[in-house]
Amino acid sequence: MNVRECYAAMGGNYDEVFSRLRTDERITKFLFRVLEDKSFDLLTESLAAHNMEEAFRAAHTIKGVCMNLAITKLFESSNKLTETLRGRSEYGEDIEPLLAQVKEDYALTLDCIRALQ
Amino acid sequence: MRGNKRKILIVDDSELNRALLADMLSDRFDILEAENGMEAMTILHEHELEISLMLLDIVMPVMDGFDVLAMMNQKGLIKSIPVIMISAETGGSYIDRAYDLGAIDYISRPFDERTVIHRVTSNFMLTVKQKEMSDMLSEQIYEKEKDNSLMIEVLSHIVEFRNGESGLHVLHVHSITEMLLEQLMKKTDKYPLSVKDIRMISNASALHDIGKITIPSEVLNKPGRFTPEEFEIMKRHTVEGAKMLDDIPFRKNELLVKIGYQICRWHHERYDGRGYPDGLKGDDIPIAAQVVSIADVYDALTSERCYKKAIDPDAAIKMILGGECGAFNPLLLECLTDIAEALKKELSLISFGHATEGGIRDTVKEVLKNSGPEASARSIKLVERERMKYKFLSDISREIIFEYIAMPEMIQLSEWGAETLGVPIKIINPAENEQWISVVAPEDYRDFLEKIKKSTPENPVVTGKYLMNIGGEKKWNKVIAKALWGDSENPEFEGAIGKIVDINDETAAMEYLEQQAEHDSRTGLLNHNAAKKRISQLLYENKGKKRYALAMFDVDNFKQANDVYGHLFGDEVLEEIANRIRENIRSTDIGVRMGGDEFIIFMEYKDSAEPQIKRIFEHLTVKFRQFDVGVSMGVACAENFDGDYETLFNMADAAMYTVKRNGKNSYCFYTDEMRDCLGKTRQ
Repeated sequence: MNVRECYAAMGGNYDEVFSRLRTDERITKFLFRVLEDKSFDLLTESLAAHNMEEAFRAAHTIKGVCMNLAITKLFESSNKLTETLRGRSEYGEDIEPLLAQVKEDYALTLDCIRALQ
Repeated sequence: MRGNKRKILIVDDSELNRALLADMLSDRFDILEAENGMEAMTILHEHELEISLMLLDIVMPVMDGFDVLAMMNQKGLIKSIPVIMISAETGGSYIDRAYDLGAIDYISRPFDERTVIHRVTSNFMLTVKQKEMSDMLSEQIYEKEKDNSLMIEVLSHIVEFRNGESGLHVLHVHSITEMLLEQLMKKTDKYPLSVKDIRMISNASALHDIGKITIPSEVLNKPGRFTPEEFEIMKRHTVEGAKMLDDIPFRKNELLVKIGYQICRWHHERYDGRGYPDGLKGDDIPIAAQVVSIADVYDALTSERCYKKAIDPDAAIKMILGGECGAFNPLLLECLTDIAEALKKELSLISFGHATEGGIRDTVKEVLKNSGPEASARSIKLVERERMKYKFLSDISREIIFEYIAMPEMIQLSEWGAETLGVPIKIINPAENEQWISVVAPEDYRDFLEKIKKSTPENPVVTGKYLMNIGGEKKWNKVIAKALWGDSENPEFEGAIGKIVDINDETAAMEYLEQQAEHDSRTGLLNHNAAKKRISQLLYENKGKKRYALAMFDVDNFKQANDVYGHLFGDEVLEEIANRIRENIRSTDIGVRMGGDEFIIFMEYKDSAEPQIKRIFEHLTVKFRQFDVGVSMGVACAENFDGDYETLFNMADAAMYTVKRNGKNSYCFYTDEMRDCLGKTRQ
């Protein structure tokens, strides 16, 4: 799978990211770093512990990274979760479907990036 | 600085984002990274002068971007380090708040390589340019000012040297003029003068007597009174001085020249119109001339001249106010009264050395030294070099050197120091840092902070002795530190530097020596001197609160035991007695060997001392090998007792004497019937 195919598969915008980051090499380098990023683990752990502030920051970080790498699908779901978590002090059931979507998109994104290797 | 890339600090909690930005910028800049606001502040503290620009995220753990901006404002860093926000937050209120707090630009996500490079570079260039321009400008202004006042000083000194005056007069008139004008501005807005005007008038004041250069020296330096003709000649110095300035072919329109003209011509006018040369009245006399006039008179009165002695400042002011030295603007007289005290101080500070030729040469040197656009870059280099030296010296010295920074609170240790204490080099928020707390007890840390904050800029050094846990061992350490106070008018506590010195061995040696001095070497019990001190103290501290018994005894037939079984055996008996005492008293009781075969036990009791005494007596009088141990013990109780140790001692002694008289090997309590023997048995 090349970079363009990877973006198509994970619901990202290859043209956009290429126009900003300029080379496939750089895009690939930073996609691989997503594999090492701990924000997703932090997000699930914080939500399990009902640590809302930490969870907000983790979701926010995922959103920011996706924005930078134009991983549109995961950006959209993590953005929704971020906005739901903003200023929240208590856990609620409304968070669950949003988290589920982020989990699904995150898994897809990781699979696609791994397929690049 | 050349050849070194400029440093940029990237603050973002996402490592990936930092890496992305670093990747885009590392060709042109050196990158420093921080993953939260607290780390950023730490790096700023250390590299303040080297960081050219900062990229700052908003949402971060520990300390967020807004807090960083707020703190940078507080520390004045926001003016010297441009900050570009890089948050994924795009809400207008977020951006506004960042701008309000002093951020200069905003790069929104997603990061676009060209945008990032362009914004960073252009903002960077802008600030660098601004800084270089302002540096250059201020240096030029500074030089021009220096040149101006240097020329004026030279000119006026020529006049004064010819006049036989010291040269201090010009400087004094300058200071008095400046202070009067500043006070005048505080009082009224009648004369619209800017700070620049005040400086200009003060500078021009030096010219007031240049006309004297045209006055023949036999008149100028005449010690006695002037004849009316001479006075007329003398008066001409006003007009002549003004004419000299008016005759300058170029730059006639310079403010300095204009003001100089006013001062020269009219500094002998009087507010009532009876002065010379023009007889101007009231505010027809330019304010510059009015002020210099009063300054001239004041300094003339308070200085020694060839024709008069110096007059004391208070008396001089009285004379001026009383109209003995001319008529002045009442407002200015008020100002003079207001600044009277400050004036005394100020004029006493202007030293003679400042006015000599050497002083001028120094000024020139200083001007030359400070010129050139490299000056500010060089000062940064100097600071860097100082820090390098400090770091090297602290690393090689085998001492625990530390720096305490009040805001954000952190401790920074020398490399060796951190290693010795087993903590990191940098400890943020030490009061809550587990590694730090495990070394320094929280109450000790608090105690130290209290001490250092209580210090003053005049007496900033404090010391303290603390038991620290180093490498799993409790060790005594001495902390010596110097508080760092800001240099503003109300200095604020900024932190401290200091070192931690291991005094454990020293303390242990001292303790051993103290122990040695207090104890009897044969038995290890306290000696009489030490015991006396401790018992006296206990009696004093617990007077009326606690009950104490003092039991004194000696070993019956000890001399005989010595004679029959030998001295070595005698020693063994004494050691055995000491052991028996130790085994039968509590840790709060005191066992003493007075000397020879005499011992004392001092102990607290609740209702009655009898049971304790009885038990101890029984344990003492157990047979030791072939020797039947017997003791004669006298006991004195300190109950409702108001006496000192001596009294108690004598009471016990009297009781012991009674036991001996009644056939030994027993104990007995002191009663009032024994009063007759008090203090007599040992005479």
